[in-house]
Amino acid sequence: MYSYSIRTLDELKEFLYQAMRLEHATIPPYLTALYSIKPGVNQDATQVLRVIVVEEMLHLTIAANILNAIGGTPDLTRPDFAVDYPASLPDGETDFKVGIQAFGREALATFLKIERPAQRPIHLVGKGLIHRKTSPHTTALGNDPRHEDLHFYSIGEFYSTIAEGIKYLEAEAHRVGTTIFTGDRSRQITSEYYYSGGGELFAVTDLKSALEATELIIEQGEGDGGGIYDDNEHELAHYYRFDELVKGRYYQKGDQPGHPTGPQLQVDWEGAYPIKANLKVVDIDIKKDPELREAATAFNTRYGEFLQLLTRAYNGQPTLLLEAVPIMFEFRNMILELIRNPLTNHPGKNGCPTYEIPGSTKQAAVTRQAEVRA
Amino acid sequence: MLFPLESALTADPKTVAASGDYDIVIIGAGISGAIIAKQAAEAGKRVLILEAGTGANRTLAGYDDLLTNFYSAASKDNQSPFPLNANAAMPRSPLRKLQAGQTDSSTYIVQSGPYVSDTTYTRIFGGTTMHWEAKTPRLLRSDFKTRTIFGQGLDWPLSFEEIEDDYRLAEREIGVSANVDDQQYLGQTFPGDYVFPMRGLPLSYLDQQVNKGIEGTSVELHGKTYPLKVRPYPQGRNSIPNPAYDGGKGYRPIGAVDTHQVEEGGRCQGNTNCVPLCPVQARYHAGKTLAKAFAVNGKSSERLVELLSQAVASKVNIDPDSGKVRTIEVKVYKDPASAAHETITVKGKVFVLGAGAIETARLMLASGLPSTSGLVGRNLMDHAYLLNWALMPQICGTMRGTSSTGGIVDLRDGPFRERQAAFAIDIHNDGWGWATGAPTSDLLELVDDRNLHGADLRRGVIDRVSRQLLLAFMIEVMPVESNRITVDPRYTDPLGNMRPILSFTVPEYTMKGAAYGRHFARTVFARLGAQDHTYYDPSDFGYVDFEKQGYAIRGGNHLAGTHIMGTTKTNSVVDKNQRSWDHENLYLVGGGSMPTIGTANVTLTLAAMCFRSSRDILKYLH
Repeated sequence: MYSYSIRTLDELKEFLYQAMRLEHATIPPYLTALYSIKPGVNQDATQVLRVIVVEEMLHLTIAANILNAIGGTPDLTRPDFAVDYPASLPDGETDFKVGIQAFGREALATFLKIERPAQRPIHLVGKGLIHRKTSPHTTALGNDPRHEDLHFYSIGEFYSTIAEGIKYLEAEAHRVGTTIFTGDRSRQITSEYYYSGGGELFAVTDLKSALEATELIIEQGEGDGGGIYDDNEHELAHYYRFDELVKGRYYQKGDQPGHPTGPQLQVDWEGAYPIKANLKVVDIDIKKDPELREAATAFNTRYGEFLQLLTRAYNGQPTLLLEAVPIMFEFRNMILELIRNPLTNHPGKNGCPTYEIPGSTKQAAVTRQAEVRA
Repeated sequence: MLFPLESALTADPKTVAASGDYDIVIIGAGISGAIIAKQAAEAGKRVLILEAGTGANRTLAGYDDLLTNFYSAASKDNQSPFPLNANAAMPRSPLRKLQAGQTDSSTYIVQSGPYVSDTTYTRIFGGTTMHWEAKTPRLLRSDFKTRTIFGQGLDWPLSFEEIEDDYRLAEREIGVSANVDDQQYLGQTFPGDYVFPMRGLPLSYLDQQVNKGIEGTSVELHGKTYPLKVRPYPQGRNSIPNPAYDGGKGYRPIGAVDTHQVEEGGRCQGNTNCVPLCPVQARYHAGKTLAKAFAVNGKSSERLVELLSQAVASKVNIDPDSGKVRTIEVKVYKDPASAAHETITVKGKVFVLGAGAIETARLMLASGLPSTSGLVGRNLMDHAYLLNWALMPQICGTMRGTSSTGGIVDLRDGPFRERQAAFAIDIHNDGWGWATGAPTSDLLELVDDRNLHGADLRRGVIDRVSRQLLLAFMIEVMPVESNRITVDPRYTDPLGNMRPILSFTVPEYTMKGAAYGRHFARTVFARLGAQDHTYYDPSDFGYVDFEKQGYAIRGGNHLAGTHIMGTTKTNSVVDKNQRSWDHENLYLVGGGSMPTIGTANVTLTLAAMCFRSSRDILKYLH
């Protein structure tokens, strides 16, 4: 049995990098599903998805804050940062694949799995990590960075391991009269730059704030200890927001998980564009759909520039986050362009963003411009 | 759940009518009523709010429906999101030109010529803050005593110093974005440690281009020199929270995305359709304050604030012996499409009329309550707007940013106010829209008259629109008793309620300001090298002749003065707490209480006054 505890600061940094990668990996599927919804329908689903996308961005930033707090260097331009879809995520004793697809029942089933509250059943407690079932060629998330073939039982367990690692390493540091929280305070992103993100963004500077940060991520995703709300009884956890759409009913205070009793809501399961799931740029016929192919490539390039901008923002230039806002509007327009146009060689299917981010780390014009303005 | 269920609930007319224990009954779910309801509930009082509109927009789905109405409307005027509701009708375009003595009763407000005002207000949950532009300047110190200083208008029974703390409460409630440094002009001062809840929004590129052309220049007026520059406006929309707010505690904007936040708004994205409706609720509206009020629970965790919508107050009943308000008669309709209704009587200890300057006066007059001073309905004020438009010599990125981010405001005050009205100039980021119907009018012309299409059309629109500069002169109007609201049983709505009749003449003092404003605009255009396209059509409904020149005057929707406050029951309708002199348990709140409006949009000031009234009401109840 392999012990999955974190015992060194370098290990913790790598776990936090993987956490950022994991948080980011949920954004493209949610964002694509959101923009696949046809105008004028699925108002409730649109709101749910929008809220959750924004909260995932918050989680990404929180993970960056923790990494910065312990003197790490967030890097969203590492060649493996953006994942190759479909990617696999832990699902208890097995794993499942998350991909880029239109809003619909199938997408929702996947989203529920992503946010699933998962505590180990008694017979597995203390049994170590789980072996991957998916092909080693599939991008795996929520796994142990030291053992690509082993994954955690759930995302919650992955974060608990990080929290335990922080506690252990800080206690060790204390024993020799020091601390692991040596990061530059000015690298922290605060609510000045990020709010209305379904939670307060706060600076991580010590053990207390670091543990609060990990708890916030877990609770917003899964709820607090199996309850439908997060810790302040104020916000519904992601899992139950998706569950509302499946059940066609809102949760209200006092409801038990799985049994919403609030007002009914309407979901139009046909109200999304039929996009080709997990499309790759090479799947778009360069002769028949040259414009679509160009649009897909342009989006990927722009997305790569966006990740570079975020990297700089998380590395001491938080004001650059303000420049990221208009880029998000560009994304909406670019994604809609892809999603609303048919693919000639896939009859009945429309295009979609492929999120194949160029590995190039050279500084793009946009970040230079943003820097000058900032 | 995505929205707080509590706010989706609404009271039942029978229960409301049977209930004898409301501490406060408020007419109107606008910002005035919202602030008083919230303050009272937090003090443990039971509050009933009566709202004439359907209240559907109190949920996110209802708000989104208003947005859909706006997006699909052919005319994007400031009432376009709001469905027609004859039972709670509101002023709407189009208006027609009238001759002197001619009366038009075809629109909700009955107007008689020759001047026709296009002023509007919104009879809907959230009141006129549902479509306001959210500029939040304070009145200047001198605005509180224009009679003493300039021999014009009336003095307030309050000084700036007496209302200053309440201005700060109002700025907190609205979540004003501004930098203190930018607001320190014309003697405006702030305590040493004061910061606004959020940092100022940046000036638009258009503002910066205008500033480049005029900064360092000045104008002379009656022997005094006024330096020119573009200054940012304080605004009721979310920007970056200031960490130094509240002694370093910071300000927490209520965000847009969680259960509770979804009702309350994200960060300003510069969508430029602030008026009529912000798509992300970054702009403050009274629904945000109401959501907080609805969330307050009493001792046995019952909700303290109830809302009865589709409830149009029709008569205030007075006890003839005590002069106190005994009840209010309310017509509750079942469907906006039908006049079928039941009439209920509502009891309470204190009554608050917060239905806006026109509706509050209308209700008082329709109830036969003209007041000792005889001033109910009189002294109607609204900023007179004079539009001036030109094409900038270079591309200025018009249509970016919020509706208006900055302006030329150094002529808001000066000794010249002895002779002519002051003004503040808004630079409009949405181009010539208000003046000409741009960009739709540009598009039609390019397609129909010039036969452009494809790339040429796109280029053409950019060339036309992105250089458009609109300077909107917001000109001071002083109280004049003959400018007024009246009622007449000949003009009623489907529920049988009397409609407001508006009589208004733009005062000479204001027209002198307008004439100078036109001259001033020419000066600014010349300095900018901008080509003046301003044209006032004599057939325009707001056309006014003044000293052989014609001007089209627009209403500013900054309504005030119909129940002005003063020092005695003979010179005013309400006291400095907005309490009726004649009825000790009746408060007439909102812009109607303002004795003068200076050159500040009225909402911040009336919000500040409602904090003051809240304290007085609680004192009265104890």
